Amino acid sequence: MRGLDLFTEFSKKAGTKIEPKNIKIDDTTLRDGEQTAGVVFANDEKIHIAKMLDKIGVHQIEAGIPTMGGDEKDAIKAISALGLNCSVLGWNRAVVSDIDDSIQCGVDAVAISISASDIHIEHKLRKSREWVLESVRTAVDYAKKFNLYVSVNAEDASRADMEFMLQFARTAKEVGADRLRYCDTLGILDPFETFMRVKTIIDIVGLDIEMHTHNDFGMAIANAIAGVKAGATYINTTINGLGERAGNASFEEFVMALKYLEKVDLGIDTRLFRELSEYVATASGRFIPAWKPVVGANLFVYESELRASTVYQNPLTFELFKPDDVGLERKIIIGKSSGIKTLTIKLKELGHQIDEKQAEELSEIIREKSLALKRSLFDSEIVDAYKSYMCR
Amino acid sequence: MAAEVKEKRHINIIDTTLRNGEQAAGVVFSKHEKIRIAKMLDEIGIPEIEIGTPTLGPLERDIIKEIVKSNLKSRLFTYCEASPENIGSAVECGVKNIIINISTSDLHISEKYNKTKTWVLNQLRETISEAKNNGLNFIISAEDATRTDLEFLLKVLHIAQKNRAYRFRICDTVSRLDPFRTFLLISTILNNIDFPIEVYNHNDFGMATANAMASVRAGAVSLVTSINGIGEGTGNAALEEIVMALKYLEEIDLGINTSKFREISEYVAKASARAIPVWKAIVGTNVFAHESGIHADGVLKNPRNYEVFEPGEVGLTRQLVVGKHSGSHTILHKFKEFGIDLTANEANDLLSLARSMSVDLKRPLFEKELMYIYKDYEEKKTASGTGDED
Repeated sequence: MRGLDLFTEFSKKAGTKIEPKNIKIDDTTLRDGEQTAGVVFANDEKIHIAKMLDKIGVHQIEAGIPTMGGDEKDAIKAISALGLNCSVLGWNRAVVSDIDDSIQCGVDAVAISISASDIHIEHKLRKSREWVLESVRTAVDYAKKFNLYVSVNAEDASRADMEFMLQFARTAKEVGADRLRYCDTLGILDPFETFMRVKTIIDIVGLDIEMHTHNDFGMAIANAIAGVKAGATYINTTINGLGERAGNASFEEFVMALKYLEKVDLGIDTRLFRELSEYVATASGRFIPAWKPVVGANLFVYESELRASTVYQNPLTFELFKPDDVGLERKIIIGKSSGIKTLTIKLKELGHQIDEKQAEELSEIIREKSLALKRSLFDSEIVDAYKSYMCR
Repeated sequence: MAAEVKEKRHINIIDTTLRNGEQAAGVVFSKHEKIRIAKMLDEIGIPEIEIGTPTLGPLERDIIKEIVKSNLKSRLFTYCEASPENIGSAVECGVKNIIINISTSDLHISEKYNKTKTWVLNQLRETISEAKNNGLNFIISAEDATRTDLEFLLKVLHIAQKNRAYRFRICDTVSRLDPFRTFLLISTILNNIDFPIEVYNHNDFGMATANAMASVRAGAVSLVTSINGIGEGTGNAALEEIVMALKYLEEIDLGINTSKFREISEYVAKASARAIPVWKAIVGTNVFAHESGIHADGVLKNPRNYEVFEPGEVGLTRQLVVGKHSGSHTILHKFKEFGIDLTANEANDLLSLARSMSVDLKRPLFEKELMYIYKDYEEKKTASGTGDED
């Protein structure tokens, strides 16, 4: 019995199989990403991001909120007019005039959003459940007259009463919605809850489901994957996980998790990930943490002796994918946890030879230096230490 | 809130900020910082702390000894690779508890050790017997356990059990698990051998916290964490996420003083020279910042619309940000804070001015800038004589 085969067992139990061709990415960097407190994209940046997403292979782009008007509307119009391969979607409240704004922008798809939880219905909308369902009916009906692809977004679905959630989904289906976006607006689900809820909606109502997850408890990716395992076919992602509060499911993490943990390859050109991340980081005025999953600059950087020397012997020992799969590079840095082997490899890269005994003495010198400086050493510092050691 | 009585489960936390956290490439803590971090962890009520790796050298041992002498309530552990000669340096430091680490996957046994499974078992037995001779408690840690043949993993666990190890640690060294696989793996292990299991997660696919929660569901009793999730590569499960997820998603309250979380995160961020991203789950400053009209309006009506817990619970404060996505409710609320009651018309006018300024500047506005907009607006109104003073 192999530990690795457990997934097959789970799949059998859960009765689901993931078909790569059925899974579609709907990226919302330009909508939920920009909605993040403090983030504003210039229109040129929005257009550039849309082009990059299209090139890399996403299926749908959520381009913005047409009803905001002004610059926002101009950007969405421009993106719709680019002639991209992917679908372009506009975000709307369940309000007819919002949908008119979307139509004026030339999008081929609309998201019609309304809260499904009693907390929101009571405290935010200050309306009734019946009013919510009626709004869904009116808005979807209107959008469908214009032949738009319609996603009905159940905001705060994760705090909604399950019976009402089913009624909500059924209503959306009856008036012709193409899919239901299941929003874990506050990021409070865990993967097991996610799985059960999504599977229940699919089994009982039978409608395409899109996952919209938030990272408030660090579970956005796990919940998105759980949704897919339960049969969801669309995933709402953002580059770098940009989004309100702790952000959304990150595009690059989701694609890689699906590829390397679930063996489902969406055919996305992952080699462009780092470049895309850098662009969005700059445009959003945010840095990419060095330790960011999938695209962080530190992911293939090794310092500790045992790990570094083992990886250089066989990368599979500590890596599930290659650095250039995501546009990164593997390297060794020299600091307080370095030893003979890593120092020898590093010096060789820098064009210097050293024997074992020398390496041992030099690594002691380097450890002290690193502790004193409270950081690892730059290449020039290593060469410096090497030269003064050899000339002692 | 409905008073639901749930069966109380206790989950142990063992924090490795000072050991695996410092192993992050490029991170070096000073002696002073290490002692301070240990004290902070102790103060907020973290039951167990990994304080370092004695075999790294005399400087590291010096720091470890100092922490041991600090008289903390937390139980202290040092870490070593399985080898009998590594025990002496732990004894020298004066610790009573150690973690003995050994790789168990075929790949690591052949590529990292250049040895066989039999060698691994013997090495482990010899190290354990040396630890026992010196009166140490020990956790057995199986590195790369999630790529290990299950039968062999159980063999290693059996040795731990027979020798009365304190706990058995499953390391997801290369992030091979997702929550469902985690659940199956841990429950399968527990079905075979009932023993206290501890889980050590990495975050390569952003699932460290989710996997930790899944292991708790499967019956694991202890989780390895680090502050800010600091650790090798993408890092480990973040202490602050684990504690809050246990409390709010699993309803297991460990009684930790979470109001110090932001402060501790900031301290470790400085000591490790790594910024806390504003969007960091639980402790990022943006977690309670609301800009978009819909969210800000919802929060003003009732914070529970968009917040699960109060910002003060983790040492943060709520902020309403005025920018491109703001609505008129935010403007009304902001100016009320400044002591100015706006009419609905004024709020709408100011909103469109603020929005377009935010688009031009490509950022939200400072409070001062809002006031400038207001002053210009008032001046213009007075000049043209179209004020609606109602």
